[in-house]
Amino acid sequence: MAPNPSTYLVAHEVSYAYSRRGRTAAVNALSGVSLAIPKGSFTGLLGPNGCGKTTLLKLMAGVLRADAGTITLEGRVLADLPRRVAARHVAVVPQDTHPAFDYTALEIVLMGRHPHLRTMQLEGPGDLAIAHESLEATGTLHLAPRLFTSLSGGERQRVVIASALAQRPDVLLLDEPTASLDLGYQFEVASLLRRLSREHDVTMVMATHDLNLAASICDTLALIRDGRLLGHGPTAEVLTAAMVRQLYDVEADVRLHEGAGHLTVTPVRRVG
Amino acid sequence: MVARPRKLATIISWPVRRAALAILVLLVAAAGCGPAAPPPEKAQRIVSLVPAVTEMLFAIGAGPQVVGVSSYDHFPPEVEVLPKVGALLDPDTERILSLRPNLVVVYGSQTEIEARFKKAGIRTFNYRHGAEGAILATLDTITALGAVTGHDAQAREVVTRMTSGLEAVRARVSRLDRPRTLLVMGRQPGTLQGIYAAGGAGFLHEMLAVAGGDNVFKDIKRESVQPSSETLLARAPDVLLELRARAPAGDYPAADLAAWDTLASVPAVRNRRVYSVVGDFVVVAGPRLVEGAEAMARVLHPEAFK
Amino acid sequence: MIEGSSHAAVHDAVAAARPIRARLALTVSGFGLLTVMTCALAPLVGSTPIDLGRALDPSLPFASNVDAQILFIARLPRVLAGALVGAALASSGVVFQALLRNPLATPFTLGVSAGASLGAMLVIILGGTIAVGPWSPVPLASLAGATVAAAIVYGLANGPRRAMSTTVLLLAGVTLNSFFSALILFVQYLADFAEVYRATRWLMGDLDVGGFGPIAGSLPLILASGAIFAVLPSSLNLLGVDADSASARGVDVAATQRWAFVSASMATSAAVALAGPIGFVGIVVPHLVRLLVGVDHRIVLPASALFGASFLVACDLVARTLLAPVEMPVGVVTAIIGGPFFLWLLVREN
Repeated sequence: MAPNPSTYLVAHEVSYAYSRRGRTAAVNALSGVSLAIPKGSFTGLLGPNGCGKTTLLKLMAGVLRADAGTITLEGRVLADLPRRVAARHVAVVPQDTHPAFDYTALEIVLMGRHPHLRTMQLEGPGDLAIAHESLEATGTLHLAPRLFTSLSGGERQRVVIASALAQRPDVLLLDEPTASLDLGYQFEVASLLRRLSREHDVTMVMATHDLNLAASICDTLALIRDGRLLGHGPTAEVLTAAMVRQLYDVEADVRLHEGAGHLTVTPVRRVG
Repeated sequence: MVARPRKLATIISWPVRRAALAILVLLVAAAGCGPAAPPPEKAQRIVSLVPAVTEMLFAIGAGPQVVGVSSYDHFPPEVEVLPKVGALLDPDTERILSLRPNLVVVYGSQTEIEARFKKAGIRTFNYRHGAEGAILATLDTITALGAVTGHDAQAREVVTRMTSGLEAVRARVSRLDRPRTLLVMGRQPGTLQGIYAAGGAGFLHEMLAVAGGDNVFKDIKRESVQPSSETLLARAPDVLLELRARAPAGDYPAADLAAWDTLASVPAVRNRRVYSVVGDFVVVAGPRLVEGAEAMARVLHPEAFK
Repeated sequence: MIEGSSHAAVHDAVAAARPIRARLALTVSGFGLLTVMTCALAPLVGSTPIDLGRALDPSLPFASNVDAQILFIARLPRVLAGALVGAALASSGVVFQALLRNPLATPFTLGVSAGASLGAMLVIILGGTIAVGPWSPVPLASLAGATVAAAIVYGLANGPRRAMSTTVLLLAGVTLNSFFSALILFVQYLADFAEVYRATRWLMGDLDVGGFGPIAGSLPLILASGAIFAVLPSSLNLLGVDADSASARGVDVAATQRWAFVSASMATSAAVALAGPIGFVGIVVPHLVRLLVGVDHRIVLPASALFGASFLVACDLVARTLLAPVEMPVGVVTAIIGGPFFLWLLVREN
């Protein structure tokens, strides 16, 4: 790809293999993937389970270290930064969250301030304000004093997103954010993400296997299969029946849904 | 059927019939004296599970009749070559039976194996550890053993010897002041944790009284007491007597008595009247009670033994 | 960047929430006061009535002042030991619960106490005379046993680069507990009366440690653990929510787990070596504290240490005065309180 002035988060020739104890051969999760995420975009990482999209997300988050290649943010190699510093720019929203203790929603969101605090420094009024603003942005301010475990699935995900927003990140990484939610909450969270992307200056990268979700909120898509990049570009260009067939071995009907305002993918039959 | 008896009656003559009847009567009489009523004979093969009783048996001359002893028997030296059959918690019934005893000395609490031996027709001697009047109980046990083993005369002799021995000790110290004494039966080595001391009952308490000491815990009518540091400070003994069955390895006694220095304000520690008495006789309420009492008296009243 | 949208609503919410600094200060001073009061009062009460005036009278020679002797030689070390052991067990309970992500974990879950008990048993029954400085044979062996147990569990659960598996930790700990308990029973079976009695006595726990010497042995270890405890809580909070998120936010998960394991094991070992295994403190105190102040480890950890100290000192007070002149083992008192407490918790949950 030609260097693009709006490239922001760049993965360059990234490879990663999960070493398995007891097996002789390591499992290649990613092989030489190069991907440039434009600033302010909402990019969806699409692909079947095990294709490597979650691995790529974890590499971007700094949870895993790449075996080969680099990941840079605004030109700086993320792996060179101390994790805490990197966390001031990159935040992660996991698929679901099961705390072991009865934290309140506010406490969960305040933990997002951790990268900005020194060791043993406690949150101050400024941090508290940011936490409340984040809750407000996700429409969960009224849930602040409630126990996280007492919230509904949708409420929980929105609180977790607020927690990530409290980090004041430049990039928000989401790992299957609606996978464990039922339809109503899926819609709720999807709408929130779309709004956040449009109204706030946060670049979003979302790993998902839900094509319709990706079509509804992502402006850019990256298609990954078996650890390799199949295609990358604006949603309208990339999400085609041919691509879907290549990605999922499924014959699908891709068309623009007038009512919803975005592309929809309807699987028809399995091929290959 | 009617024909048979008549045929028998004609064959057997009357004198033969009378003899057969006599034999029949004798057999029935003998059968009546089965395991339910053991014959009152001398116990020739004795197994003892109680070390104190073992010592008593040897003291009254019944040593040769002892064929098996407990795992904790060490005195007299002759017992070292005898088979060991377990003790209070783990008596080896099989082993005991294999020695073909006709008397087994068991603890009063070992009711199960006692019942088993009774069923096997083996006589048991029930040893009960005396708390009240312990010394007297010991003397009574020696007398009873004399009767059971056929050594009555020797038993009486031992009892007399012990009684006069204890009297002799008592006499030596009778006019002397009786110091307040703490009798320590055991503690964690190197510290003062886990102390247990002789209470106001049991053979150690009585031995101390004979030896001319005044047990600081005489008001607590139990064999053992677990005092805290506070209790020790409050009771303020003048003499500390630590009892040990065996001498610990190395220079230990001297080093370990130093553990008492943390209670430096206790009169016994302050005045350096902390002693250690070592010997089997402190755990065995048997014939060597007298030696034990004398050992204590020598430590409490050295001036009486010059 | 997020623009502050509805300033008013946010402003109200901020005003309503008590910031953590204030909550921490309030909690620490509250529990601190409780601890100071308990530790000041406890030496004044005991099975033997003492006259405080006489005890503190400097004109009376110490050697003949039994009240002073009891106060300073018998009771003061005991209260100090109680406070130290209570603080150590309660705080290591909190850390183990965070490490295992389970509020039902105790300081004894991972086998440290079983190792300590086995070490003590071996010396009591087989006889041992090795002493090092303020460490007498039994506490020293107890510490050695605890260290061996902790090392085994650590070795099993630790990987080269990766984080500790809580499952492996738990399984290793439970297995070690069973195995060591069986060994303890076996060793006791080999022992004679006096030894079995001393062994059983040790297992009941005893804060009458016999002076300041033994305390001086355990104190450095407990203080060292405390120093490590001071920096763990915010990482424990993040770990308590999600390990990957914690990692993404800058927490070194593997290092945090290792430090948590080592420090909590060290505190537990030192406490058990000093006073024997005293149960329930490590689980009742953290639970009670969480009921009162929430689950933020930055508040729960110091509060548990303080409350643990006063809790154990109070339990020991009951143990040594309730049936005076007979003393109950302090572990019995903590169990009598702990058992019903947990039943009540269960009933409350339902």
